[in-house]
Amino acid sequence: MTRRDFTERDIHMALDGEMPQDERDDFAAWLDANPEMKSRSSRFEADRERLRASLSDVLAEPVPERLTALVAGETPKATARAPRWRMAAAAALLLALGAGGGYFAGAARLGMGSETAEDLSEAAIAAHAVYAAEQRHAVEVGAGDRDHLLGWLSSRLGLTLVAPDLSSDGFELVGGRLLPAGHRSAAMLLYEDAKGSRLSIYVTPEGAAKSWGTYDEEQGDLRAIYWLDKGWGCAVVGTLAPEKLLELGRKAYRQMLAGAGMA
Amino acid sequence: MEDRKAAILAEIPRLRRYARALVRDRDAADDLVQDCLERALARMDNWRTGDNPRRWLFTIMHHLFVDQTRRTKRRGEVAMLNLDDSEALSVQADQSESVASREIVDALQAIGPERRAALVIVGVEGFSYAEAAAMLGIPAGTVMSRVARGREELRGLLDDMHRRRAIRVVER
Repeated sequence: MTRRDFTERDIHMALDGEMPQDERDDFAAWLDANPEMKSRSSRFEADRERLRASLSDVLAEPVPERLTALVAGETPKATARAPRWRMAAAAALLLALGAGGGYFAGAARLGMGSETAEDLSEAAIAAHAVYAAEQRHAVEVGAGDRDHLLGWLSSRLGLTLVAPDLSSDGFELVGGRLLPAGHRSAAMLLYEDAKGSRLSIYVTPEGAAKSWGTYDEEQGDLRAIYWLDKGWGCAVVGTLAPEKLLELGRKAYRQMLAGAGMA
Repeated sequence: MEDRKAAILAEIPRLRRYARALVRDRDAADDLVQDCLERALARMDNWRTGDNPRRWLFTIMHHLFVDQTRRTKRRGEVAMLNLDDSEALSVQADQSESVASREIVDALQAIGPERRAALVIVGVEGFSYAEAAAMLGIPAGTVMSRVARGREELRGLLDDMHRRRAIRVVER
């Protein structure tokens, strides 16, 4: 018998009954040897049982008469009915979008995430973690030199960069800096509110990728909202509540697109 | 014909469960089941004798649901849903539901519709990857990815809810 290397994919296959019988013992041994994987597997299993239990009450409910009558042919034709489920489906989609549309941190570990989105978010979070913590040297060029700052960053990035106005939410521009992004450059704009809470906007020219979502730091409380579109990669990073960060991110992104003549 | 109708009747509870997982609200979910049954009854000829009625019915319902979410997305109707509607829909949970059960079903609703469907078809309804692939019209590998990502997402959402609850407790 040849032992093969298992990965997180196998956790799902095992849970879903898709793992060949003759691999199961090896898999169990692998789990025992990898406590982190074992706890992940147990967690997924527990969530599944909870989900099953939560959804299964409906099985014991009496079936509404309108449904049985329909099958029995007792209702001649569907009456005009407001398609309530369509509204509910739309609401669910709204929730899904509101929640950020994806936990790339988790998905990426499975090798299924969008690499561009992940790289962008990782870089933006790393830049925020390093520079936003700096009191005196957080930025290279301060907001007092705004025109110079934006002109310089724009020419280095090959984009028309504007600094979004977030003052209605209490955030003022502190300044910005140029950062390496692989073989290219990225710009970081730093904002701060009266309480000293900081928010950064990370911008880099990107290719044709088109997506948006959120990305959570694996350990820590930084969150990035990112957009990939129109040759731009943009991520807004901070520790604000997810809804607030999303709102500010949207505001910033819209202004930046408008400023670049792309909105 | 009567046998077929009996077979369809027997599947209604399972269809209601799947619908509830997809759209949450009880009446809305039953409307989806009703749409599904209407379509199934109109297309009884498409159901080959010996075929599993469950798979056939789930496929019909799934397509109804996906068509609608796609159409909604394209038309941008989501953005126009007014707050009253979405709030009304999200709080219409049954009184009898426990907090834990409401929480996980809420979290499920926050997962993208395609992943949600895959997660429920495999994880709750117990279909194999191959069966789910046939029903959803995607390769089995994609079913697996969607289930895996759905699980990750669900876990993240539940953790988020707990964190938020923890914060609220601290602040009180």
